[in-house]
Amino acid sequence: MSAKSRTMRKFVYSIINKGLLLLTLACLPRAGVAAYLPDDMQVHGFLAQSLFHTSDNNLFGQSDDGVSLGITEVGLNTSYQPNERLNFAIQGLYRRAGDIDRGSFRVDYGLADLTLWEHDSGRIGIRGGRVKIPLGLYNETRDVAFTHPTILLPQGNYFERSRSLLTSGDGGQFYAERHTDYGDFTFKFNYVLPLGNNKEVRSILLGPYAQGEFTARPTVVTQLSYELNGGEYVFAVSFADLDLQYNRLGEDRFGAGHSLVQPLILSAQFNGEKLTLSAEYNKRRNVTEGYGAALPDRRFSTESWYVEGSYRFLPKWQATLRYDTIVANTGNRNGNGYEFLGLPQHAAFAQDWTVGLRWDITDSWMLRGEYHRVHGTLWLPDADNPDRLRTTQDWDLYGVQTSFRF
Amino acid sequence: MQPSDRGKGAFRASAIVCCCLGLGPPVAGAAEIIVNDSVPSGHYSRADARAIFAMRQRLWPNGEQIKVFTLADDAQIHKDFVKNNLSMFPHQIRRAWDRMIFTGTGVAPIQLDSEREMIEKIMNTPNAIGYVSKKPDNAKIRLFDYQ
Repeated sequence: MSAKSRTMRKFVYSIINKGLLLLTLACLPRAGVAAYLPDDMQVHGFLAQSLFHTSDNNLFGQSDDGVSLGITEVGLNTSYQPNERLNFAIQGLYRRAGDIDRGSFRVDYGLADLTLWEHDSGRIGIRGGRVKIPLGLYNETRDVAFTHPTILLPQGNYFERSRSLLTSGDGGQFYAERHTDYGDFTFKFNYVLPLGNNKEVRSILLGPYAQGEFTARPTVVTQLSYELNGGEYVFAVSFADLDLQYNRLGEDRFGAGHSLVQPLILSAQFNGEKLTLSAEYNKRRNVTEGYGAALPDRRFSTESWYVEGSYRFLPKWQATLRYDTIVANTGNRNGNGYEFLGLPQHAAFAQDWTVGLRWDITDSWMLRGEYHRVHGTLWLPDADNPDRLRTTQDWDLYGVQTSFRF
Repeated sequence: MQPSDRGKGAFRASAIVCCCLGLGPPVAGAAEIIVNDSVPSGHYSRADARAIFAMRQRLWPNGEQIKVFTLADDAQIHKDFVKNNLSMFPHQIRRAWDRMIFTGTGVAPIQLDSEREMIEKIMNTPNAIGYVSKKPDNAKIRLFDYQ
């Protein structure tokens, strides 16, 4: 089969996939779903389309001096509970994000959840299959537009570039929940094989000149969270231990090394009637070894944090202000020597001021817009900016998004 | 137009204006939490009620699985219920449900269209819990007693 007809077939599949999902979504108005399904089975879904424009640099397609079609996300899930100890759940996700992801459908999670012990004050159990990865406040629901206040999550903490590595993984999760009069505790311990390996991850770790591929080894991700007053106050500590092996290819200047990436994330959130305040701090320990002369062995820390305030000034309207910052290496905040990796110095950091406005038109429809003033280019995708040396240090980003859910 | 009709018209107009502005009616009352008569009576707390409706507490003390029914997020009675009976805000409980629905770690309550349907469900479903503006006079339904 020729490459052209393969491409064509892929395109047609993607249209069919998308079309079927959209059709299903349109046919299943929210309240109607319950009426046709048995009580022990549920179906939910979401759809989001965003547009971006930038003053310089590209994000999710050609956004510089134009409008990029941004991100399309369509999800559909179902769960079935044959008995009180066992639950099955699966979610399909279609996603398109500029040149990073030109449109793909995959199983986002697909798991069997077995409750080992349950009491009215809590439960303990295991989930096996493909499970979501608990990191920070938003990682598990990062693709569901309704669950966070702005279109783009704070990029210093929730990279779009490397999302595939830590969105979901194949393996298992042990969990324990305990409800007390002084708050609810949830502990999750994942042992999973991360799904994603792509050029963006390679570029983050080795820069744009690398040619080989990374293979992830089974990874531990764990989170302890504490919620007070039904989620009025939320605190969480998350940790992951990623070990990525590099397989060199062709005339690669890098040897067969490996990289350890160990993020430790502290999260806090206050959810008031009108005001929501969130803050997260992420310190990532990095170890790179065995890449040869092109990249000497080293240990360094990546640091990022953000603070965010959202105010519901009318019941259906929410305004958000956020400051988000990241430095790739706390020992080299200005990116000295980045030119040897084919990167400008401003790829070593990013500081992002964001203002956003969200309108929940109905339970099912939401519309929002936001403006970012960004200093630095650390989280710009290579796919959208093949020549990083031509990116601009200070740039503006505008986005709008509409989303539907049921 | 009769004076009373004019009154109704003005009320309707102000209700429409309020709706357009996203403002609810000025008066907010509490709902009544109701259960099927199969639910064991006991000493429940507000924290229990919260955990049950947030889908965190899944069993009644007798080990039976709790069946939770709710109304739409933008139904006034739902807002009153969350605020006054659970002492939470609708967006807080929505956050708890969404985290379960979209991560495969739990299920959301079954959402019904009307209070009439709610009464029917609570009456006919063993171990069911829900809420209405006023408890109906029905032998199969009783108030959920919590402190």
